[in-house]
Amino acid sequence: MSKTIIKEDFQINNDSTIIDIKNIKKYFKDVKAVDGISLKVKKGELFSILGPNGAGKTTLVRMLTTILSPTSGNAYIKGYNIKSEKSEIVRFIGVCPQDIVIYDILRAEENVEFVAHMHGISNKEAKEKAKILLEKFGIADRKTWSKNFSGGMKRRLNLVMALVFDPEILFLDEPTAGLDPQARRFVWDYIRELKSRDITIILMTHDMVEADSLSDRVAIIDQGKIIARGTPTELKEKHGSDNVLEISFIEQIDLNIVKNSLGKIPFVTNSKEISKKGRKTLLISFKGGLKEFIHILQSGIINDIEEVENMKFRQNSLEDVFLNLTGKRLRE
Amino acid sequence: MKLQDNKAIQIAIKNFKDKIRNWQYVFFALGLPIMFTIMFYFILGTEELPSGKTSFDYGFPGMIIYATAIGTMNAAIMFAGEKSSGMLIRLDTMPAGRKDIFLGALISESIFLSLQIIIMFVIGYAILGLYFESPLALLFGFLIAVLFGISSVGLGIIIASMSKTVDIANAFSLLIFMALIFLSGSMMPFDSPIVYFTPPFWAKQVFLQIVVMGHGLGDNLYSSSLIDYSAEIIPISLLGGLLIVLAYTIVFIIIGIIIFQKKTKF
Repeated sequence: MSKTIIKEDFQINNDSTIIDIKNIKKYFKDVKAVDGISLKVKKGELFSILGPNGAGKTTLVRMLTTILSPTSGNAYIKGYNIKSEKSEIVRFIGVCPQDIVIYDILRAEENVEFVAHMHGISNKEAKEKAKILLEKFGIADRKTWSKNFSGGMKRRLNLVMALVFDPEILFLDEPTAGLDPQARRFVWDYIRELKSRDITIILMTHDMVEADSLSDRVAIIDQGKIIARGTPTELKEKHGSDNVLEISFIEQIDLNIVKNSLGKIPFVTNSKEISKKGRKTLLISFKGGLKEFIHILQSGIINDIEEVENMKFRQNSLEDVFLNLTGKRLRE
Repeated sequence: MKLQDNKAIQIAIKNFKDKIRNWQYVFFALGLPIMFTIMFYFILGTEELPSGKTSFDYGFPGMIIYATAIGTMNAAIMFAGEKSSGMLIRLDTMPAGRKDIFLGALISESIFLSLQIIIMFVIGYAILGLYFESPLALLFGFLIAVLFGISSVGLGIIIASMSKTVDIANAFSLLIFMALIFLSGSMMPFDSPIVYFTPPFWAKQVFLQIVVMGHGLGDNLYSSSLIDYSAEIIPISLLGGLLIVLAYTIVFIIIGIIIFQKKTKF
């Protein structure tokens, strides 16, 4: 009885924090896989964890999903202790692992119904839920064993298995890896739909576009520690590179006047003239977003659109943030 | 809660589908006992002994035990496969306890074992006309075989828990299976007290004496003594032998649960 009251108090008094990680560590002999991470995730938030391979993302999530015990520190999921209240936690978390973990010899609906049964859902309800989800994900018509599915279909089934019991907290480890652009876009839309239903989502991904477009907040992990955290915009402003506008001109025009006028714009950090394939090219680095981009174009740098042969825009991204923070690219 | 909504039952159903949809597995698990029964029927022959029974009548219980002991290998391979596929980790993130997983495996393996035994009974006793004391004795023999089969499954799960890959589980279970079968004297006589330390010896001997030799049920379970490898009477009754089989089964299952819980945690 007292335990229930504690959980209720927790939800009321902790500013809707649903995941509370306190200085959690996991060492494998001499390897510090997770080395003192503290973090709070709010209910209904989509929180992304980024990091290179071996950064400690999967180990962290395995601890949060009660698969691994921490070496020290602790974490509370909805107020439940991951060390001692595993049986409570697994009732409301859904986990979509990075590797495709399905029963090859079962059909799609049998796989999904099996997970539903493990969550205590009755046979009838499990069938109904499985049918709805599989139809939504476009794999309801496949009546063959899952081993005959394409890689993309297996990946979608892997995700559906994590959703069938309507989890309150969802851990998605690379949910769109290996999917074609259309399927990836569908999964993103579905994740947004889940978020709109107030489901808390922890997303681990290498896809910077995915993290940028879906996340409320992001944490970047490297060597078992969080090296940066914040909203994607905050991270890009604080740790990212400048946006770069590259304009190649057809005519051998004098760019000094243009450069002088650019120098008067406060958010332009640099303008550099280079030669590219015999063309005069201007590289304009600037801070900000779309508003600033339009401001530069309207500043008189282009008198006649016919003078422009090519124009490229490279926006500051989360990948730049990571590169600047760790000195290496995520895919390395 | 309906029985079909029980987690262990659902795991058992899943395991059973997993087995019967793999025709190579079905061929091995069911075809091997059939092949052995027919093969040994011709090897041992149908010539009558002074007791009025044939060598095959006496040899068949050993064959039943042999086929049932294959459950060790089947369970070891199935569980090791579950481990290496990552499904055990996924199951860890669901409200399904190790108890449900263990029990589910035990149920599905026991059903499959029962099918194997029934097929052998049909071929041996119904088709080839082997001797049996009475239908009740035969039923009793069936239950002994199933009980021994469950201990084999327990042993298989212990092996799988300690094996890192399916190949290792396969190799170790084959090693232990062969050792137990030959050291127990189930397939061919083995004159050594080592037989007392092997579960197949007790299972085969109780089965043989009740089903074939007609040493009886009821009160005879208490009064009839077991016969050892050198045809000497030993001071253990049929019931005592049965209890030893039961004890082996319980011990293997308890050790199986403990090792399974310990060795499959991350």
